[in-house]
Amino acid sequence: MSHSLAVRPRALGSLEPQAGSSLSAVREVLDAFRSRDVNGDVLTAVRYFPAREAQWAEFPAWIQADLAAAYDAKGIRQLYTHQAIAAEVVHTGKNVVVVTPTASGKTLCYNLPILNSILENPDTRALYLFPTKALAQDQLAELYDLNQRLDNRFGVFTYDGDTPADARRAIREKGHVVLTNPDMLHTGILPHHTRWTRLFENLRYIVIDELHTYRGVFGSHLCNVLRRFGRIANFYGSDPQFICCSATIANPGELAARLLEKEVEVLDANGAPAGEKTFVFYNPPVVNRALGIRRSYINETSRVAQEFLKRDLQTMVFANSRLQTEILLTYLQQANPQPPGRQETIRGYRGGYLPNERREIERGLREGRIRGVVTTSALELGIDVGSLDTVVMAGYPGSIAGTWQRAGRAGRRSGSSCAVMVASSSPLDQFMVRHPDYFFGNTPEHAFIQPDNLEILLNHLKCAAFELPIAPGERFGEVGVPDLCARLAEAGYLHLAGDHYHWTHEAYPADTISLRSVTSDNFIIIDVTGVPSVIGEVDFTSGLVFLHEKAIYIHGGQQYHVEHLDFKERKAYVKQVEVDYYTDAIRYTQVRVLEATGTSDASAASANSHSHGDVLVRSQVVGFKKIKFFTNENIGDGKLELPENEMHTTSYWITLERPLLESLPYSVSDRQSGMFGLLHALRSVATLLLMCDGRDLGTAIGERSPAPDSGRATDDFTPAGPGDASGSKLKEFFEPNLYLLDAYPGGIGFSEPLFRAHHLLIRKTRELIAACTCEDGCPSCVGPAGDLAPRAKKAALGILDRLCG
Amino acid sequence: MPAATDKFSRLAALKPARSGPSRPAPLRAPDQEDSIAHLLGAGVMKNHFGEHLAIRNWFSTPEFSEPSAVALELLSRTRDVEMSRRTRAALEDPAKWLFLDTETTGLAGGTGTYPFLVGIASWDAGGLEVEQFFMRDFAEEHSLLHELAARLADRPVLVTFNGKSFDWPLLENRFAMTRSISTPRLAAHLDLLHPARALWKLRLGSVRLVELERRVLDAPRLGWHREDDIASALIPQYYFDYLRGGPRDPIVGIVRHNQMDLRGLAALFGKINTLIASQHTDRDGIDSLDLFGLSRFFERRGDSDRAHVACSQALELGLPAEFLPRARRELALLAKRRGDHARAAALWLELSSDPQDGVLACEQLAIHYERRAKDPARATEFARLGLAKLQRMRIHKHDPYAVARATRLVEKLLVRINRLEGKTKNKSANRGATSWSLSNS
Repeated sequence: MSHSLAVRPRALGSLEPQAGSSLSAVREVLDAFRSRDVNGDVLTAVRYFPAREAQWAEFPAWIQADLAAAYDAKGIRQLYTHQAIAAEVVHTGKNVVVVTPTASGKTLCYNLPILNSILENPDTRALYLFPTKALAQDQLAELYDLNQRLDNRFGVFTYDGDTPADARRAIREKGHVVLTNPDMLHTGILPHHTRWTRLFENLRYIVIDELHTYRGVFGSHLCNVLRRFGRIANFYGSDPQFICCSATIANPGELAARLLEKEVEVLDANGAPAGEKTFVFYNPPVVNRALGIRRSYINETSRVAQEFLKRDLQTMVFANSRLQTEILLTYLQQANPQPPGRQETIRGYRGGYLPNERREIERGLREGRIRGVVTTSALELGIDVGSLDTVVMAGYPGSIAGTWQRAGRAGRRSGSSCAVMVASSSPLDQFMVRHPDYFFGNTPEHAFIQPDNLEILLNHLKCAAFELPIAPGERFGEVGVPDLCARLAEAGYLHLAGDHYHWTHEAYPADTISLRSVTSDNFIIIDVTGVPSVIGEVDFTSGLVFLHEKAIYIHGGQQYHVEHLDFKERKAYVKQVEVDYYTDAIRYTQVRVLEATGTSDASAASANSHSHGDVLVRSQVVGFKKIKFFTNENIGDGKLELPENEMHTTSYWITLERPLLESLPYSVSDRQSGMFGLLHALRSVATLLLMCDGRDLGTAIGERSPAPDSGRATDDFTPAGPGDASGSKLKEFFEPNLYLLDAYPGGIGFSEPLFRAHHLLIRKTRELIAACTCEDGCPSCVGPAGDLAPRAKKAALGILDRLCG
Repeated sequence: MPAATDKFSRLAALKPARSGPSRPAPLRAPDQEDSIAHLLGAGVMKNHFGEHLAIRNWFSTPEFSEPSAVALELLSRTRDVEMSRRTRAALEDPAKWLFLDTETTGLAGGTGTYPFLVGIASWDAGGLEVEQFFMRDFAEEHSLLHELAARLADRPVLVTFNGKSFDWPLLENRFAMTRSISTPRLAAHLDLLHPARALWKLRLGSVRLVELERRVLDAPRLGWHREDDIASALIPQYYFDYLRGGPRDPIVGIVRHNQMDLRGLAALFGKINTLIASQHTDRDGIDSLDLFGLSRFFERRGDSDRAHVACSQALELGLPAEFLPRARRELALLAKRRGDHARAAALWLELSSDPQDGVLACEQLAIHYERRAKDPARATEFARLGLAKLQRMRIHKHDPYAVARATRLVEKLLVRINRLEGKTKNKSANRGATSWSLSNS
């Protein structure tokens, strides 16, 4: 363990290199950008944040002298106000969620009261959960350092998949603080809780760091893991207190309360100091206005980063994929050549690099030896690399919280720092870069979970039964446990003995349940070019779209031709190829409303309504197109006969009534195409509001369901989106529903929030399309013009006007 | 067989002198309608936790075999702990031994796997007393565990086959889950899986108990057969079916299977005991491969003297060709460890042309000639021969471990050659140093 890891920036305050010069250098770069931005549409926002003084507080009186001395030795003699408040509230025994920006010393908020309590009573145990192994490692370094200063009076260990088997026993016995991740808790700790008796009997604290990452599927799983955890803690007679930390989102308290199913106090003051900072939105210049084509944002990112590096500003570049990381790294290393034998000063850092190499880069960054680093989200969360001068982001990171976290990597306590977000042409990026107020105002991002998704809940109920027989009257979420147990018993998983349900299956249920997906139904991809080897897996629904026979599947930059899809065995056999086209599956989706849980009042004047509820989605991949790279020409297609896939999920939808459509002065095909374009834009904005990924939401258009009692079912197939529709003739809808679907069986909790946010969603979508400078549609708003009818963009705006009106 | 002649007298004589294990409580006859109990020939065992079924049988085979001191010493040897006097006393008293084997609802382990049938056995009156606890339902687990804890309190030396990593941790889980019955403390735990592996893996490939019974223990002589034995993979499902009101007959099969496993375990102990205790003068009729296995067992337990004797014997008797190099290599290493360098060198020489071990042999010979025989020229020769062999060997490029191993070995040999050539150069200043390139390795 490297001791230097534990040296926090604060202790180094006076030693920071180039502290004084960075201000002028940053200004110089900004001036250079401005002088080149003749039309004034490249720098869409330059926001200046003045330096903020620290607000100090004393260590609480109840803190043990030894612990205060250990912090003192690290250079921490006073607390920031928010740290002191957090420590006090934790001390009173309340569950809390601490909301603070990056680099505000949040770990002290939980370490201080917890270590204090361990020093007071050495039986005390605490469990820390981090979303990744790397974060746990980083915290280990910090705690290890404190422990050294306290003569090793407590035990602190990480417990994850990398922990050697012979070390595990010691950790279970001697670990006062055990650092792990939800996946390990799920598969490694809970099913073997008898080995952890010591920990469970004395467990007083659970820390959940990076709480905002537990949303959607992952969050819904975590909630259930915590339900299981609660049963086990209860079995051993403990009732631990929760301390959570979250980045800034709109609803941290709601998310925490939902995850923990307990009352949680929100602490969102911030007393940490900050140096002055400039935040810049950079939209690559337009090269073809009609088609809405801009300069490559990757090239622009490299150009921006190089401006900073040239002036010796230490810079971190974020890319959204591994491939982009490698491209940017190549560009920047070429631009900053080193004499032979000297180490590169620009380095890459991402998952897939070996731990030692990572540690070396982290050290190099802290010591200033490394001047630039190109990374993925791997460095977004709290890995300690010190603070840099500038951050450049290639593309919008996907969420406002994530963007702030990345930007927070730049920020000397003294001197000036700068963060630049270079927008790609995706709708979300373009929306952000053109609506900076949306970003810089109060965050609209809400994190949602749906722990009572039956698929997810049942899986965890199985795990729960494996861990401890289910007693009569037990609660597990908002569902009827006895009924579900009876069903699991019928399916052969449980058996009622006495009044308890026991696990009766040979398999170990946690092993087959991944916390990162809803079902474990995956396609395995086998490369049969040489000796057959498994190169990856893809979830069931994506599998049908990407792995159909004759598809070109791209993995790690290599193209593969799918030779055979063994549907029953869930295996795709692929061979390496080099071709100049990719394939696009044509999927038909049909949605049937099973039950509308809520519907807005449709006034006669507006001729529209919106609803949310349960739907049945049937989709089938019926063919594919071959599309040539660069020119996007359609160079062939094929028919496919894949089984129909049926999914029960939840959806939000907008119903457009006949009068509304008839009031639009456009042809039928413009109107239809406009609806697909509108849906494209709606989805982009919805992912923003929900902090989710584009893949988490499906879209479909279908005829409005007849009234439930009319007995008529709508069974027509409808193409899933504008891309898929081009091969076939558009059907005219009499009164269409535009669906935004939860893309997971059972739904993951997006539909109801969308229903509630309907007006915001419509307004923001309208802003997105209206502000787009393209003429007839582009990937940034309603989708590429070539896929749409000529006046689709105008039709989409026309519909939006009427929805707003 | 000295143990066979005095076994009765010994046990009978010693029994009253010791405060031996208490007799288990008599069983209650099952109710008329308790058909599973009737089917299994079981009685009902009742304690304050509830009740479960118990099946008791006495078998004349396998016969009691007196544990030899050396077998006890080697089988119980663990890396870290010095044995206490109390432990030793328990270990040396066969009346403190409990053979154990469980049938479970799965092999996955963890808190959701239940041992639904726990079979235990102990020596009694020269034969084997077998007691099996069966839970008719999960609700009977606590009374079963309570009874097991009582037996283990009387007989705290546990003997199992793969019980160290499976049966016992599972039972520890179960005890912990009761929150009321504390986990019994074992005086010692002898697990026969690893000894069996050392002894017979080479000859048999598999050391499953059934395999051992058939090919090592001479099954017919044991007095039972496994002709209609159930497949152990099906055991969990049979039990689940029974729980849900399905057929009960397979449970009878499971109970018998468990009995045979216990008797096999006891017999296996006898066999291993005899082998370990045998003097080298007294090993007629033992298969040469078993002797080689025995040497591997001794070697792993740190008894290189016995290992050396057994290995030499195996080689003298003649081993199948495929095992010869391996035996020679082990013998050479053992000889080296004992300081018998001449013998080791002779063995390495025999091995130097072996395709598998040739490189190792050459390296060892180079060491030998450099350090012991002080013949740098000869040492250089062997180091070069080793290097040449290594470079001729086809290393699988996609196996990073093999490549790393080979690279390390090449480097080691190069360092040695350079050093040796330095030495030779001092003697004959004319010879130029040879440079070896790594590029073609």
